[in-house]
Amino acid sequence: MLWRQFAMEWRLYSRDRVAMFWTMAFPVILLLGFGTIFRDSGGPKLAVVRVATLAPGARDAALDQALVDLQLKVVALSRTEAEARWARGETAAQLEPEGEGYRLRLNSYLMAQAGATAGLVNQAWLVAQARLSGAPEPRRIPIQVESPGRKRSANYASFLLPGLLGLNLVSMGLFSVGMVNVSYREKGKFRRLAVTPLPKWIFLLGQVLHRLTVTVVQAAILLLVGYLVFGIANQGSFLNLALIMALGTGCFMAFGFALSGFAETSEGYAAISNLVFFPLMMLSGVYFTLDSAPAWLQHLVAGMPLAPFLKALRAVFNDGASLAGHGLGLGIVAAWGLAAFLLAVKRFRWA
Amino acid sequence: MTESALRLRGLRKTFPKVVAVAGVDLDVARGEVFGLLGPNGAGKTTTLEVIEGLTEADSGEIEILGLTWARNGREIRSRIGVQLQSTSLFNKITPREALDLYGSYYPRRRGTEELLALVQLEEKADAYHITLSGGQQQRLALAMALVNDPELVFLDEPTTGLDPQARRGLWDVVRRMKAEGRTVVLTTHYMDEAEALCDRLAIMDHGKVIATGTPASLIADLALPSIVELTFEGTAPDPAAFEAALGLRVEPRMDLWEIPTPDPKTLLPRLLEAAEAAAVPFQQVHIRRATLEDVFLHRTGRSLRE
Repeated sequence: MLWRQFAMEWRLYSRDRVAMFWTMAFPVILLLGFGTIFRDSGGPKLAVVRVATLAPGARDAALDQALVDLQLKVVALSRTEAEARWARGETAAQLEPEGEGYRLRLNSYLMAQAGATAGLVNQAWLVAQARLSGAPEPRRIPIQVESPGRKRSANYASFLLPGLLGLNLVSMGLFSVGMVNVSYREKGKFRRLAVTPLPKWIFLLGQVLHRLTVTVVQAAILLLVGYLVFGIANQGSFLNLALIMALGTGCFMAFGFALSGFAETSEGYAAISNLVFFPLMMLSGVYFTLDSAPAWLQHLVAGMPLAPFLKALRAVFNDGASLAGHGLGLGIVAAWGLAAFLLAVKRFRWA
Repeated sequence: MTESALRLRGLRKTFPKVVAVAGVDLDVARGEVFGLLGPNGAGKTTTLEVIEGLTEADSGEIEILGLTWARNGREIRSRIGVQLQSTSLFNKITPREALDLYGSYYPRRRGTEELLALVQLEEKADAYHITLSGGQQQRLALAMALVNDPELVFLDEPTTGLDPQARRGLWDVVRRMKAEGRTVVLTTHYMDEAEALCDRLAIMDHGKVIATGTPASLIADLALPSIVELTFEGTAPDPAAFEAALGLRVEPRMDLWEIPTPDPKTLLPRLLEAAEAAAVPFQQVHIRRATLEDVFLHRTGRSLRE
């Protein structure tokens, strides 16, 4: 009976092109798209708009040379042209002469790029001053980019892949499990089952097993594409990877069951689940780290289930870490899962 | 084997704002088609849901095929067939798959081909559920209620929302269920359906059974089983003056007057004479037998469709 239920779930799922796309193809598209766009770990070359000085002197020449030496792209423009470009919002940082010196204007909408540029421009200014005074050239400290486990230099695809694995689990729990439960209840599918002798747990277990296997297939596809296209391979033990994934699956599936008990209609559930889904997705470090956010927010996020899950997953997958160092984080995930499970038991309704 | 198919005593179910079932007693014999007739909100569906074990009664006794929910829940589910008011299936499941799947839930099952033939869905056996017409979906729901070869079948408003032809098709399926020896309990708010299908009826209103019997006996029990109708062009005039002249009750409807009578043959000449004398501007005269609609009207003062 259970096998039959499970097989039917797969058969119906395979006919649902939209569901197939969102669960199987969409994460792959994200990985390929973002992984390719941000392939160079250094990101795009930083540019500074340089407003021409009316009567350039030796100091201007030294500064311009230092900017180029520091790998900045210098866009030399007249003041009128520069102002037009600034007004179009294309400029992140604009260096202009002011009084005896210079002024650097940063675009508040492009702060990540502008901030990095500002650092380099100031460095260039120090270099230029040293050169003008004949002092020895300041030496820069060499930089090396690598992941916490020092396994290799990190590229964006290898950062993104575990993030997508985690996000898949969240959307599986909230949407494939929670949403489906609400719509079954709303449309009376559970009631139709309730008048048959089929034990309800067999129906639910069939559904859960189907979602689990979908998750496994989904993860396998992502890992395969990551390996073939970006050369990303699991650096840790597959057992640890499986253990973490199993914990996350249980936690987020319980979330789906718990939340489905709080909505009467599919529309209501869509609102509730998005309220949970979006903050988790935006704040938990799926696509980017939150290291520039205020400390209180980082602490808050570390106490939510997805961020510690991703941290442990990345440690194992990217750096080959053991689980020992992530006991606290995984404990937080397990605690959320347990709380959600208890809530689900209390709130779950068939009709 | 004279045990009844269904026996209810003092069934009550109250929801926070409404008393849905207010003390219902029923006996349904094996092999009969029994109808619960009443307007929307009369408590028919709640009564069925309590019997089917979907909703728990506040009080009262339910005996199904001599079994009770407290002791024999699984056996009851194995031996009854249920069609809910709206059966929601997956959009992309086919009738064949649905019957195979639901059949697999039961220890005893009928063949899928046989069921498809019974409800004349052979041609649509492999079409997705979402592509079936309303009548076809409803016939599939009936077939699903028969997958376990049930002794007792519950149908909740099986023809609501269907066109006349599709309704006739479903009536044939119900008649075949009876011919196969099954007991059928159905709800409806169509009096023609109740008359056409049911051996016996319970008329429900406000959560209570207000009359029980065969359709013929319910109508015969009316003291005035015939009705003479005078139809008008446009709205019927106030009959008060004519009522006094005739000395009989005249009930105004939209565009006609109804005069219930035990003896239309004697009434008719008198009626025409009085109408002539009073210059009543009627168009036509009809004489008809009272229907279940009139029974309901007589008992509650309201129409079934209100």
